[in-house]
Amino acid sequence: MRRWYLISIPYIWLVVFFLVPFLIVLKISFSQTAMAIPPYIPVLDLSRGIDGLKDFFSHLSFDNYRFIFSDSLYINAYISSVKIAAIATFLTLLVAYPVAYGMARAPKEWQPTLVMLVILPFWTSFLIRVYAWIGILKKEGLLNLLLMNLGLISEPLTIMNTTTAVYIGIVYSYLPFMILPLYASLEKINPSLLEAAADLGSPPIRSFWQVTFPLSLPGIIAGCFLVFIPAVGEFVIPDLLGGSETLMIGKTLWTEFFSNRDWPVSSAVAVILLLVLVIPIVLFQRSQQTQREAGA
Amino acid sequence: MLDAAGNGTQAPGVRAVSTPAPQSGFAPWKDKTKPPIVRFENVSKRFGNYTAVDNITLDIYEREFFALLGPSGCGKTTLLRMLAGFEKPTEGRIIVNGKDTTGMAPYERKGVNMMFQSYALFPHMTVERNIGFGLRQEGMAKDEIAARVAEAIAMVDLGRFATRKPHQLSGGQQQRVALARAIAKKPRIMLLDEPLGALDKKLRNHAQFELMRIQESTGTTFVIVTHDQEEAMTVASRIAVMDHGKLVQVSTPGEIYETPQSRYVAEFIGEVNLLEGKVVNIEGGAADIAFAADGTIFKTRSIDGLAKDQQVWLALRPEKVRVSLDKPTDCPNSVAGKVVDIGYLGSITHYHVQLPSGQKMTALRANAAHAVERTVNWDDDVWLSWPSEAGIVLTR
Repeated sequence: MRRWYLISIPYIWLVVFFLVPFLIVLKISFSQTAMAIPPYIPVLDLSRGIDGLKDFFSHLSFDNYRFIFSDSLYINAYISSVKIAAIATFLTLLVAYPVAYGMARAPKEWQPTLVMLVILPFWTSFLIRVYAWIGILKKEGLLNLLLMNLGLISEPLTIMNTTTAVYIGIVYSYLPFMILPLYASLEKINPSLLEAAADLGSPPIRSFWQVTFPLSLPGIIAGCFLVFIPAVGEFVIPDLLGGSETLMIGKTLWTEFFSNRDWPVSSAVAVILLLVLVIPIVLFQRSQQTQREAGA
Repeated sequence: MLDAAGNGTQAPGVRAVSTPAPQSGFAPWKDKTKPPIVRFENVSKRFGNYTAVDNITLDIYEREFFALLGPSGCGKTTLLRMLAGFEKPTEGRIIVNGKDTTGMAPYERKGVNMMFQSYALFPHMTVERNIGFGLRQEGMAKDEIAARVAEAIAMVDLGRFATRKPHQLSGGQQQRVALARAIAKKPRIMLLDEPLGALDKKLRNHAQFELMRIQESTGTTFVIVTHDQEEAMTVASRIAVMDHGKLVQVSTPGEIYETPQSRYVAEFIGEVNLLEGKVVNIEGGAADIAFAADGTIFKTRSIDGLAKDQQVWLALRPEKVRVSLDKPTDCPNSVAGKVVDIGYLGSITHYHVQLPSGQKMTALRANAAHAVERTVNWDDDVWLSWPSEAGIVLTR
């Protein structure tokens, strides 16, 4: 009985703060816009009893979903979000792998410090760190200043308000989420495996592809999911760093909700986003599960 | 120490004799014209201030089963790792097959393969893939790889496990995969770093004989690193005893046991009684030594370079010391003492005897027949005796 109490706490938390809000969003996505407070109908009116309930359900419909799928804007936003997230995830992997590799190969007594340095940025607000990139990337920003003073370019580069800036922002912001699982899997690799590979006639680069890389796959998979999943729905980075060309579903959702005040459509957009992300989330859970089984 | 030595006394005496037949008469190190397959030339290795290997010169010959023996930290593994190419000597050269290999990377050293203490099996590959790894690096044809892998798998009797991953195997099976993976490369020199350290005693004994069988059937030169003197005695044609980065003695197991050159070697290999004394007389091949405790004269064989008044130790193996209740008349050497402990092991009995000086000696008696003499008991006053050729004089 006591155990049940203990387990029930996180479940109650999830039900109250995740499941209930989600059901509310789901309900709103089946409603219609109205000039009212709240800005949609139907609103459940239990004072009218069974009739009220019947009336309530008869007003629910899939109209919003039909609308979303008929308008290429939304579909393009989804595709573009997934594409940007995928490319950004790949770029993050390219940056993170050498860092994690270097950390795993660093002297043992240095490794805790290096891990600390990787998570150090979390001590500053995410929003402030993304804002800081504006100062670096804008036309008269630090980056352009540096490159021009070095004589590498004569005209300032236009990075700010482009998709490139969004990539930079995502890679920067999500780097620790990629580095940490990569480091964890690279650090576990017994150095004698590489010695054995060398002893059996494999030069270092071949040993990397034959031994290190395959053994770090669990870390690569975990890191990619940890970056990809939140990056798809990312709003702050494309909003602050991206321009009008950068189409991402997070921004679309925001516009729908705050500019158009169309709660039902934006709710439907959110529900579809969740469905889109359920696939990689399930895949991620699967890979974690098989890894645990292989490790046991 | 007592326990380790106690284990040791039984085995080497028995096993040293049972060295397999093909090895008898095999002594290439005595042939001055034969070139060694491995030659360490004044090799030293320092890590910062620490000297792991200190100016070692050593020849190892083709088809030898050579053991590097010593306590942990004596430099034996470093010496092996330098031969494999994982460490570079600070000084000196390592010549393999007449070729200086000192600066060569491990993957450039053809014909030298190592079996790792941790086995270092690739966890993401099946047994077959593991064993074939070295062959794939050579760019060998697929069907040839398959044939060589099958041959190696058969050699270590792992047929049923070919498609398993390492984590699905027992420790003994993993050890055999590691062996097969190195053997599949058909090296001329096989390096083994504590290959059986992780196995339990029974499995280890079995694996030792399997190693010897494979070494003989393939004709490969084996260099094994071990801290287990019993293992070294069992498998090796020659043993190099190491201490603090130096070679203390390089000899056959029999010589190491019967004629150790120092107290260190005598105590490391098996159990030994050391009686400190002073040389009082040297005559022909014999020497008289006055026991430091009470001046009793021990008659023994002399050794080269022994001088009068020199401080020496008489080393006596327990099985060469006789216990009796009466003072023996037929033996030139005897000391009196009191039995403080008796270890009955079935086939043999250990007698721990305390001399008046407080020093303890061990005598060992094989329980071959029913005791002719009266049974020796605790607290009995006894005589320990030995013939003059039983002991060996040690000067250091």
